[in-house]
Amino acid sequence: MKHFKETLYDAVCQEFRIDKLYFENRTKHQHLMIFHNARLGRVMTLDGIVQTTEADEFIYHEMLAHVPLFSHGRAQRVLIIGGGDGAMLREVLRHPVEQVTLVEIDKAVIDIAKKHLPDHSAGAFEDARTNLTIADGLEYVSDTDEKFDVIICDSTDPIGPGEVLFSEEFYTQAKRCLAPGGILVTQNGVPFFQLDELKVTARRMAPHFVDATFYCAPVPTYYGGFMAFSWGTDDTRLRQTDMATLHGRYDEAGIKTRYYNPEIHRASFALPQYILDALSGTS
Amino acid sequence: MANGRRVIIGAPPQEAKAYLELVAEHGSPLLVFDREILERQYQLLSDTLPDVELYYAVKAHPNEHIVRALDELGCGFDVASAGEMDMLMDLKISGRRTIHTHPIKKDREIRDALRFGATTFVVDNLDELEKLVPYRDRVGILLRVSFSSEDAAVDLSRKFGCDVRDAAGIVMVAGKLGLHIKGLSFHVGSQCENSAKHVEAIEQCHQLMEEISKSVPVPMSTLDIGGGFPADYQLAGIDISSFCAPIRKALGRLPRDWHLLAEPGRFLVAPSVTSITTVTGRSERHGTCWYYLDDGVYGSYSGQIFDHAIYPLQVLKDGTTRPSILAGPTCDSIDVIAEDIQLPELEIGDLVIGHQMGAYTAATKTRFNLLPDARFVCRYDNS
Ligand SMILES: Cc1ncc(COP(=O)(O)O)c(C=O)c1O
Repeated sequence: MKHFKETLYDAVCQEFRIDKLYFENRTKHQHLMIFHNARLGRVMTLDGIVQTTEADEFIYHEMLAHVPLFSHGRAQRVLIIGGGDGAMLREVLRHPVEQVTLVEIDKAVIDIAKKHLPDHSAGAFEDARTNLTIADGLEYVSDTDEKFDVIICDSTDPIGPGEVLFSEEFYTQAKRCLAPGGILVTQNGVPFFQLDELKVTARRMAPHFVDATFYCAPVPTYYGGFMAFSWGTDDTRLRQTDMATLHGRYDEAGIKTRYYNPEIHRASFALPQYILDALSGTS
Repeated sequence: MANGRRVIIGAPPQEAKAYLELVAEHGSPLLVFDREILERQYQLLSDTLPDVELYYAVKAHPNEHIVRALDELGCGFDVASAGEMDMLMDLKISGRRTIHTHPIKKDREIRDALRFGATTFVVDNLDELEKLVPYRDRVGILLRVSFSSEDAAVDLSRKFGCDVRDAAGIVMVAGKLGLHIKGLSFHVGSQCENSAKHVEAIEQCHQLMEEISKSVPVPMSTLDIGGGFPADYQLAGIDISSFCAPIRKALGRLPRDWHLLAEPGRFLVAPSVTSITTVTGRSERHGTCWYYLDDGVYGSYSGQIFDHAIYPLQVLKDGTTRPSILAGPTCDSIDVIAEDIQLPELEIGDLVIGHQMGAYTAATKTRFNLLPDARFVCRYDNS
């Protein structure tokens, strides 16, 4: 194969030239491919859908990690579900956290990403604060007694092994695992093309969190404009964390970012009208 | 296909030698795949229908060598089950190059198809339409309409396809459900004698799509003309270009921007696979000689039962013929390949060749008696 054609939608599709194929095979759970593209660097796909590229991964990972962590301000224990490429772990570990638990269902993704996508994890799996578990994310949150300040769900789309991570049961159990004032964030697709997914998540999360909403960032290779991240917490003040506080935390952490900054953080909760309409049921 | 069976008595020495060598090397029974013939068939069909994207109906012969050869030619794939998709996935064929054409699906099947990357689905009723609602952001739908065909060997319009008169209504409902029906598909039946039914169906679909498009906001623009392209079971030299000429003409009258698809199975693979069986026993009964072969209707010849095909047979020996019966290896009396045929005296170890045996043959074989399958071997394959 000389080109990768994404298989998300029947009517439109993005196509990447494959300049060098590093890996293509079926793991126990899914079809995994890693290849090089001249413009995007290394690209990882699962079941025919782009998961991450070296060129734009910073937008996705910074926004899914730093927004909840800087909003929280004192997160010590963080749970990542999915994220086998290790980049979410890498971003979270830039904060002064005590422990990060990463629960990935497909060990092959970790092994192969370490080998063929090494800059994503950049050694994060070897960090002493990392606690790696190979398990089904829903089973993990259902069984564990631990409490987390922040839970980040870095999953695939709702068809496939990531399916359970979009279930109402998952939100119920994840909520149970949150420490008081804890935050759950999840990747929730590209609403321009996947409006139903947004609506379903909104409906399923609402009963479990006092403050359930979304924030957005455009990730170029998640084709279709803004990607939505769901946000669930019982502390309504967290979303309103003021600019001075965010700046203080950001400066203190001394994290150099490429997309995230406190202004973007605040602004990302402003939702385009088509998303608001979908959430209020008028579309 | 009622006009009897072709039987070839004798073979040129070169040809006979080739069969004997294959059995010497690989044993018996065999299904021998000739990739060059498959390539020729694909070329013939794409040359005669240049504006039609071909999707090989994997069900005709779900074999990795066949699929891989077609993949390399750039052919697409028509899949109808998770098993078929699984096989393509193992061969690293992208779902983007496939269409899922089974009109009746479990939810699991739809999800498997989407994971595989097939986004085109076929429906023929409202229940099936509703099953696709949760996936409406991703899928494109073809509505299968039914045109019955009395002269096809295998009529496929009885079991599937909505009545032409119901099509507009289903498209309307789809629109209300937020589903996009991008076009129509039909399957006039397999092994058609001529293309009159195809032409009629194309013309009716044309009219229907133009009409429906007037009243729905999204135009219909895809027409899938299915399969039905015949195999040459009489070895009469079917000219596919003449068969397709009226189809080509009918397609030429459609708007230039429509997407045209076909799902050929039989025509592509039938001639590319040859069966070789060996006489393993003989018996004389009521003046007829019974020959027991090591393959039969529960194996490679299953198409004689399920597909109503009558394959041309060949024996390598020449000589005076007498009434003979060719029977398969199982204990069942239905396991008879050919009755009342005239054959020269065969001996144990002699070969019987079955031609045009690539489509719906091994695809429907059973495990009855737990007899070993005919081994699939590739001609010209040094590996
Ligand atoms: C939906 C569909 N498409 C295509 C085919 C292949 O038809 P043929 O072998 O006549 O080309 C079949 C055969 O049963 C079918 O059911």
